[in-house]
Amino acid sequence: MNPNNFILSCQGLSKSFTLHTIDGRHVEALRGIDIEIHPGEHVALAGSSGAGKSSLLKCIYRTYEPTSGSVFLRLRNGENVDLTQVSDQEMAFYRGRDIGYVSQFLRAEPRRGPLDIVTRAGVSRGMDRETAREAAVVSLRRLNIDEKLWDVHASVLSGGEKQRINLAAGTISAPQLLLLDEPVSALDPNNREAALDLIGDLTSHGVAVLAVFHDLEAMERLASRIVLMRNGQVEMNGTPEDVLKVLAEGVPS
Amino acid sequence: MSTNWALKIESLGKIHGIPDLRSLEDTGPEKGTAKSALTGSIVAAWDVSFEVAPGEALGVIGESGSGKSTVMRCIAGDQGSTTGAVRLRTVHDGHMNVLDLDPSSRRHLRVADLSVVYQDPAEGLRLNVTAGGNIAEALTAAGWRHFGRIRDRAAELLDRTEVPLSRMDDLVGTFSGGMRQRVQLAKALANEPPVILLDEPTTGLDASIAAGVLDLIRNLLEETGVAAVVVSHDFAVIEMLTTRCVVMNHGRIVESGLTDRLLEDPHHPYSQKLVGAARA
Repeated sequence: MNPNNFILSCQGLSKSFTLHTIDGRHVEALRGIDIEIHPGEHVALAGSSGAGKSSLLKCIYRTYEPTSGSVFLRLRNGENVDLTQVSDQEMAFYRGRDIGYVSQFLRAEPRRGPLDIVTRAGVSRGMDRETAREAAVVSLRRLNIDEKLWDVHASVLSGGEKQRINLAAGTISAPQLLLLDEPVSALDPNNREAALDLIGDLTSHGVAVLAVFHDLEAMERLASRIVLMRNGQVEMNGTPEDVLKVLAEGVPS
Repeated sequence: MSTNWALKIESLGKIHGIPDLRSLEDTGPEKGTAKSALTGSIVAAWDVSFEVAPGEALGVIGESGSGKSTVMRCIAGDQGSTTGAVRLRTVHDGHMNVLDLDPSSRRHLRVADLSVVYQDPAEGLRLNVTAGGNIAEALTAAGWRHFGRIRDRAAELLDRTEVPLSRMDDLVGTFSGGMRQRVQLAKALANEPPVILLDEPTTGLDASIAAGVLDLIRNLLEETGVAAVVVSHDFAVIEMLTTRCVVMNHGRIVESGLTDRLLEDPHHPYSQKLVGAARA
């Protein structure tokens, strides 16, 4: 693996919040994170809640604005950009195309059906309508979304169905980097299996994945590396075996 | 990428009363007021700048009195501005400040360069004219003459905005609020303008009706590639329709950014207060 051939490289990434509504208090969420991910690598973030896992994903995607540090992303065209320095318009453009983000929840989509939602996600990433529709069909089938529900408004579907639609929309065109925040938390074993399978496939096709899972089993199965976070910092960065061993022994708190 | 704008606003300002620049000293977010005690003037908007690309929707959010509707009305030409520039890509490739145009040329921009959808449909439509007639007005202003073609186009637009064609020849004044908004949208899109301004387009509608109109607007924005400015006090509307937004308070922009970032990581004290109130 060529060390310079990274998809994502975070350097000294820090984030603090100033809460003006609560006496101007400062809260530090991330303290100098260094992390690199290469093509086809799946890096899982571990650590107790509040360790900064979701904050890290959000800072990379710029849902949170980093306070300091850099986030270098290799674009599809081979160019290297520091996402902390690009304009909002540029960031909006890279989202979906070069960097995907799948969260636990489907954003409000009141009057659209799964097929429409996933197809539109493809179109917004530059696919033509027909190709996007075909890809949406494949993806919805693969994630076991009942065909009878394809044109039913997503707002009335179950949590697990919404989560799979979200995953289908987020992965319809393979980005360079995929950020996953608890993408299978609401799924039953069978559907969870299908979702993990889809994520594993993306990695084998060269997508770099940075993921937060609440269960160790998913990490063990998919991760090529685990980064253990604690108190906004990287505590350990190693092979799944090594990190899971430490986790099993219990992290001193 | 940054030069690819359809609409560009530069340092737009509007002072009601004597345009005395000393009014700027004791107004704005830090002073907590838009009214100058020094001059008695009201600084409704000052130093407002942003640009919108084709296919992009920019939100302007703030409480009532923050100046967001003033900005919209200054861009639309409904209201005079004190200073600044408004540029449209379709007008001399953006080299012309449309605020310098004479009133009749300025009004003419509303035919095909720039459309407005108002909160109150009575501002954008004539209620004592039929739905078809309102759209025909927009089309004839753009030079359409053939009656049959005008009717076909009006029907096509009403169909697109989900107005039953059986209502085409009814007076708009007999329509419900949600239906009036749909006719207003049909009229605004009649001449395929590159820029559209939406001022609180769903405020005042019942929740279920508002949701339908909002879905329609979202589809239209996605499908037409128009550059849109969405003015609203409602974060749900801004979140649903826009990718970027600016926050206004006492006539000034206090913060701008990606919409999800502004909702999840607002920086300015006023934005934090606004988001906190919306989430409560």
